[in-house]
Amino acid sequence: MSTLPMLQRRYAAQREPQRATAGWSLAHRPYARNTAIALTAIVLIVWTAFPFVWILLTSLKNSADVISAPPKFVFQPIADNYAALFLGNHYGQQASARPDFPLFFLNSVIISTGAVVLSVVVSIPAAYALARFSFPFKNSLGFIFMSFRFVPFLAFVIPLYLLYQRVGLYNTYIGLILAYQLITLPFTIWMLRSFFMEVPLEIQEAAQIDGCSWLGILTRVILPLSMPGLAVTVILGFMFCWNAFNYPLMLAGRQTFPVTVGAIQFISYEQVLWGQMAAATIVSALPQLLLSLMVQKYIVRGLTMGAVR
Amino acid sequence: MNTKALRRRRRPGRFLPYLLLAPALVLLVGMVYPFALGLYYSLTDYWLQFPKRFRFIGLDNYIGLLNRPLFSRALEFTVGYTLVAVIIQVGLGLAVALFLHANIPGRRVMRAMMLMPLMIPPVIAALMWKVMMDSTGAGVLNYALSFVGAAPVNWLGSPDAAMASVLIIDTWGNLPFISLIILGGLQSLPIEPYEAARVDGAGPAAMLRYITLPLLRPFIILAATFRVMDSLRIFDVIYATTAGGPDDATTNLSIMSYQYAFQWYQMGTGVAEAIVLLAMVVASSYVLLRLWHRTAESAAQ
Repeated sequence: MSTLPMLQRRYAAQREPQRATAGWSLAHRPYARNTAIALTAIVLIVWTAFPFVWILLTSLKNSADVISAPPKFVFQPIADNYAALFLGNHYGQQASARPDFPLFFLNSVIISTGAVVLSVVVSIPAAYALARFSFPFKNSLGFIFMSFRFVPFLAFVIPLYLLYQRVGLYNTYIGLILAYQLITLPFTIWMLRSFFMEVPLEIQEAAQIDGCSWLGILTRVILPLSMPGLAVTVILGFMFCWNAFNYPLMLAGRQTFPVTVGAIQFISYEQVLWGQMAAATIVSALPQLLLSLMVQKYIVRGLTMGAVR
Repeated sequence: MNTKALRRRRRPGRFLPYLLLAPALVLLVGMVYPFALGLYYSLTDYWLQFPKRFRFIGLDNYIGLLNRPLFSRALEFTVGYTLVAVIIQVGLGLAVALFLHANIPGRRVMRAMMLMPLMIPPVIAALMWKVMMDSTGAGVLNYALSFVGAAPVNWLGSPDAAMASVLIIDTWGNLPFISLIILGGLQSLPIEPYEAARVDGAGPAAMLRYITLPLLRPFIILAATFRVMDSLRIFDVIYATTAGGPDDATTNLSIMSYQYAFQWYQMGTGVAEAIVLLAMVVASSYVLLRLWHRTAESAAQ
């Protein structure tokens, strides 16, 4: 998967200071085309942002405003939904449909952190081996690790469910952290490998001449130089865990549900509590949105496991 | 070259790389084991409610699937949905990427904004849209339609509209992914071909057709590869919105496998279905990754 970065570097090396604009330039554009561009921009902005705006508005409505037809854009905003979510049953006008939502939030934090820490600790030596050594079966091993990214989760989760029931890992943090390795491990290995490969060989060779062992090269050369990459890997891995829904849906129980499974519980009641569900949605998405600001530049690289940078 | 030098100097042993990989390999075995177990279960009539009746039945689960009308419908939905979704999403993604690459005011802000749908959990995105697609009169999408004089749509509640509704939600969440990959490609294009074309008097349309698109091919194929594999397996958006309904109109292989395993506890059939899906994912990813390698390499030369 390293051909595209190579390609990108090659293109970048050829590039002049000015940008290739693919035949587009707005200079001397006639009025009609400016209008078309402005309209496209508005459509794109509304399409992307409106669902967020609407869910935020919904989360601030009381139970009557939420179901009013036609929908209300102007209303008296209230914080009851959030209060019900975090303070539980006896606050405000509505009882919380899921009084254990704060627990779900905590579960998400525990499971995601555990899964990422385990993955990264295991991936650092593995990625080092894949990036800096040559040995038989290297490519096929690397490929096997990556292929787990593409396996339908049900092929794993059904036997895992039966296995976990038997050995007592069902509905436990440990069981979920282990299951989440299917999400994080392929990702962390490939991301770290792609960052480790960026450390210039000259530095490593200089360290070797000075008598550095393989361990010294890893801990004193490669790791310090790829600290930003390590941080990006940890943050993106955490985000992927936070997004996970399929594995916990089957392998977690009431005590270990993460927010993604928790948020959906608001529907399975006789009456859907739209307001509280909206508040739960916002609270579940917020950590992601904040974290994504930190790693903006690396998101595409993360989503393609280092294939595009 | 460097690895040889490394070995010569310190002689860390031929087994060092494997030693470094060992912890990851242990976890890998932990993943392969349940998978192998599942492969075996798919050849049995494992029914969780009757654990005593566990028998090896060969390929009967797979053959039995072929006789179920729901299976062919689910297969049809899986393939059809993937084709429609990938074509629409890649087409729109390309258009959005070209738009965001153009020299328009505020494109930085718009690019940052495009990340937002990508970053939130897909199931949360599905819930957000479910609120907007409400068809009882409080739904904001039908309200918007009423302004252009269109009749209200029963988005997730009618078999006709359900697939399109799922597609809209899925597209909302994944369009930015495709756009950003292609945008990354656009930003790395060489400038010489454009200068040569300008000298030859080519217009913007010709440049797009004969320079930009061919050079972007590896990026487009890569984006399509990821989307094909994810669309074949799509589960969370459907589960959160329609759960396969109404009238099984949005039941794909993942949903059907889930229903067999976790609603009717027929574990053998459920796994068999997941394995059929796996075969489809492997086959299509093999073809697409080969294609991608070939275009990426020919572009690199």
